[in-house]
Amino acid sequence: MTTAAASLPLSLTVAVVAVGISAVSGSARRLLPTAVAILVPLGFSLLLVHGLSFPGGLTVLAQWGPVRVTAEGLAFAGGRGVQLSAVVLVLLLFSFSVSVPDLVAALSARGVRGRFAFVLASTLTLLPAIAARVDHIRQAQEARGLVIRRGPVARLAAFRQQVVPLVLSLVEDAGTRAAALEARGFGAPGPRTSYREVPDSAAQRLLRPALVLAAAAAVAWRLWPGSGGA
Amino acid sequence: MSSPSLTLPAAGPGAARKRRLLEAAGALAIAGTYIYLVLNQPADITGGPGSAPALIALSGFLVGAVLLIAAVLPTLPASTVALIPVALVLNIVLGQFVGSTLVPFYLDAVGTVLIAVLAGPAAGAATGALSSIIWSLFNPTVLPFAAGAALIGALAGLAARHGFFRRFYLAPVAGFVTGIIGGVVSAPVAAFVFGGTSGVATGAIVGAFRAMGDTLLAAITKQALISDPMDKAIVFTVVAVLVYALPRRARMQFPFLRKHRVLAGDTTDRAA
Amino acid sequence: MAEPQRLGAAGQKPRDGTPAARGAAAGQEREARTPATAGAPAAAGAGPVLAAGIRNFTYPDHAAAALQDIDLAVEPGSLTAIVGASGSGKSTLGRLLAGWLLPGSGGTLQGHLEVSGTRIAFGGTAADPRIDPAAWGRQVGFVPQDAAAILSTVRATVAEELAFGLENQGTAPAAMREAVTRTAGLLGLSALLDRRPDRLSGGQLRRLAIGCAVITGPPLVLMDEPYASLDAAGSAGLADFVRNLNKAGTAVVILGQAIDPPLFDADSWLILDRGTVVTSGTPDGLMSAPALLPAGIRRAAGRQGTGGVAAGTSVARAGHPAAGGSFAATPVPAAPGVRNPQAPRLQGKCAPALQLTDVTFGFDAPPTAAPATAARATAGRPWRSRWRRAPAEPTLEDPTTTKQTPAEPATTDPALETTRNAAVDAGVQPAWGSILRDLFLEVHPGEIVAITGPNGVGKSTLLRMFNGLLRPVTGKVLVNGVDIAGVPVGRTAAHVGLLFQHPRDQLFERSLLREVQFGLDHLDRLDRLDRLSPLGRIDAARDGQAPGGDRALAALAQVGLADSAGEHPAELPGSHQRLLALATVLARRPAVLALDEPTVGLDGNGLAVLDAAVRSAAEAGAAVVLVTHDVEYARTAAHRILRLTGGSLVPG
Repeated sequence: MTTAAASLPLSLTVAVVAVGISAVSGSARRLLPTAVAILVPLGFSLLLVHGLSFPGGLTVLAQWGPVRVTAEGLAFAGGRGVQLSAVVLVLLLFSFSVSVPDLVAALSARGVRGRFAFVLASTLTLLPAIAARVDHIRQAQEARGLVIRRGPVARLAAFRQQVVPLVLSLVEDAGTRAAALEARGFGAPGPRTSYREVPDSAAQRLLRPALVLAAAAAVAWRLWPGSGGA
Repeated sequence: MSSPSLTLPAAGPGAARKRRLLEAAGALAIAGTYIYLVLNQPADITGGPGSAPALIALSGFLVGAVLLIAAVLPTLPASTVALIPVALVLNIVLGQFVGSTLVPFYLDAVGTVLIAVLAGPAAGAATGALSSIIWSLFNPTVLPFAAGAALIGALAGLAARHGFFRRFYLAPVAGFVTGIIGGVVSAPVAAFVFGGTSGVATGAIVGAFRAMGDTLLAAITKQALISDPMDKAIVFTVVAVLVYALPRRARMQFPFLRKHRVLAGDTTDRAA
Repeated sequence: MAEPQRLGAAGQKPRDGTPAARGAAAGQEREARTPATAGAPAAAGAGPVLAAGIRNFTYPDHAAAALQDIDLAVEPGSLTAIVGASGSGKSTLGRLLAGWLLPGSGGTLQGHLEVSGTRIAFGGTAADPRIDPAAWGRQVGFVPQDAAAILSTVRATVAEELAFGLENQGTAPAAMREAVTRTAGLLGLSALLDRRPDRLSGGQLRRLAIGCAVITGPPLVLMDEPYASLDAAGSAGLADFVRNLNKAGTAVVILGQAIDPPLFDADSWLILDRGTVVTSGTPDGLMSAPALLPAGIRRAAGRQGTGGVAAGTSVARAGHPAAGGSFAATPVPAAPGVRNPQAPRLQGKCAPALQLTDVTFGFDAPPTAAPATAARATAGRPWRSRWRRAPAEPTLEDPTTTKQTPAEPATTDPALETTRNAAVDAGVQPAWGSILRDLFLEVHPGEIVAITGPNGVGKSTLLRMFNGLLRPVTGKVLVNGVDIAGVPVGRTAAHVGLLFQHPRDQLFERSLLREVQFGLDHLDRLDRLDRLSPLGRIDAARDGQAPGGDRALAALAQVGLADSAGEHPAELPGSHQRLLALATVLARRPAVLALDEPTVGLDGNGLAVLDAAVRSAAEAGAAVVLVTHDVEYARTAAHRILRLTGGSLVPG
């Protein structure tokens, strides 16, 4: 219970610092809504799981049958919520501040890294296009008499009618794209070069292995029998 | 005359061995992590992401998933690699959409299962792991489930190989079984890393089990056994509808379909 | 376009172009990147850069061969045209020669392919050699029909997209930069180098696709229907570019389904029909006996049977084929100069089938220039209706949804601009401000009205008003005298049939029959309900008609696709997809038939079908509105021509 990662002030500090950096770098407007969309359901879930019944809970605040709202349960849910918030915010800070083209250029090489870069970049390119694609299909269907009525069943039916053509056209396009990629040397062996230059300072080059080592050390220290204590 | 420069050499055995080794290492890491967690039954659920069992679950599953990607991704043909982003987009869009509703399902594996059926278990496993890793860029909570997603992909591919997509009613059955296995494997992650679930509907179910006196791991496992098999049965059915709707020319890019006669009505490959 | 220049890969010394040097190079440096041969075109005696002897090629699971008995040899620096109607096997041949369709995995090939002196024989067995597409791509550059297909989807700017092929070859960065700058200059892309590739207009995208194909300096470039949908100026610009490639020693093969003016430049033509070469020879020789050409091949205007080949060539060379740029729209005989061949029978006697009064429309919000981030896609609810909000995200696959926004400077070289791509025309509009203003339109039953106008003026936006896919900001749209405001699109669709500009956007079923049947039964139910409502009354024509399935088959037969009823729409050739889309509209027997650029991509047979369908629909009492940039077609087909300009319609 006394480990660093479990300490509430530390979690709060990390979360606040992450939001602060994001505000300074100008990504807060995009980061915060995303974070809220993730953390609110997570928080509700924690409340439901721990707030309503907590085995170690003694201070009962309210009780309906087997459901006992205890102070300990709420505290636990809150603590865990803050902890996860810190983790989520830090990871999101990375996603929203990294330049994807630079990341892809840095990863571009043949083999695993190049292919991972392809999957990453292509996914991020295709994602926003989906909405437009669905729109096209819906327009075509409406122009041929589809009326999307209200209500979950009707919506589900319309959803099915749009998903099938959506997937078909995406799969078809992927097949053509594969041929194009191959012809342009995507699968060819041999060294690659990169058109985009990614600035990389000496400090960054040093910092990267240092951070990896630090992370590994932290994990090892936690797992070492008798050191951190689980 | 034929020059080697315009044609591909036959695949050497060396590369295949290295790939098998990485695959085995990945699978071992995932299996070992799970066995450790179940055998030790760590009682400490209070530590959160920094506690020892959470770290083991996170790192063991993640290392396994990364090893699987490293083993499989370089060996996939371009037609499969080009389709993986499409699968990821489907996973993310459907998963995000369903996750925003109050349905206790996820539907976040349609793309993974689609690839598994079209291109086999290895491709399915890599897609599942990649899906979690890339999705985690904008929803970090899915990252710990990479190994579970890889397992779903691999199982879906195996089901396809053994003809579960040849009969329409077998697909949901295979999905149901896959869901049981996947749910059981993913439950420790939810328990040790999150101390619960990431959705409201699933959280309510876990809360109900806990109120009846279950431990957190048991409650989450039971919740997973309610949600996952149904979820995967739906996903497998959706994928069956999709692959049968594919035009022949689109299917023909995937030798796996022909080699193992995955779909009813397809002729077997003469080369097989 | 710019001065003729060698388009070889950057950083490569221009190689000696003599046959001897080429021979030596072919022996030893096959792996090396081969830049376009410098210097004089094709010295006599050099072997063909590409040759093929295809006995037959069959797709997997298909009984009939897609291609058989095709022999061809392409000399360095030559221009070859392979011309065939829709479904002639032209695209299959193109993809096979380009290494996009691989023997073995893509189908069974018996015969041989030969590139730069290396011959590969195929016996149609599992033991056949497998083509290395990357090595093949270094020899043969390919520009697909759908230019967007060449995009890697992983490069953030036009410059990086151009460089993708060079990166994969490990070209040094400095040389890469030089090649990108030079290629962009040749294609008029210099001002667009920092743009996102998925935000280009159709014409820009085509130029980018050509750039991607030539930047690595392959000795041969194949282009699939590069001239379809290009206007006169665009064709002339591309023809210039092709001539410069030829001068630099690069062989060019153009696949087409119409005899476009630039094809008269070609050294030889190969005429394809039903998967085989029916005749070949020089353009002059073939045009002197036009009876040899299959009927499905469209001919350029003013050349048909007149023997004016030399004149045609010189027009094309002059770079401004004023009349030659557009096509004789239809083989159906129509008296030229007669505006209204038949006055619509019902005009004036009854109420207009379609009436737009004082319509104004515009997109309120300026487009966001923010890069597409994944987070945005996750934040929204993708399945919701998104009309009347800020512009939709452009899709990468569909060039029509991307367009230069008016805010941007006119960076484009008009020479290669396509005439079909305007996003406003696709209705997905990154344009804002007022598009339609004080617009009035009345179309009576039996009347055919053509609407022309330049790209991006809002023609397709206007069509989308007819069934409510877009709603006017002010003003009214009346169908059969009833205001459609507030009526769901799906209901209005019972009376208004809309053929979209891109058939692929409106085909979504798994067989042709199901495609045409979609919504027909629903339509019948609506009809019974609508008997009571004013909107339904006038469609008495649908009374007592055959059930949906029969009507679907009849509509398929009307466009000549009844034999393919069980096939998958995605597997049809482009021209047939268009006809299928037409059948889906015809089967519904709408009171108003609205067609968006119906002639683009149709071969000769398709045009005849379209023309007959439009006429018979009008005779049956439908009001037909067609939007087209093809003035010739508008003249022959329509009773009345209107021009959309400044947001309203004026007599054209």
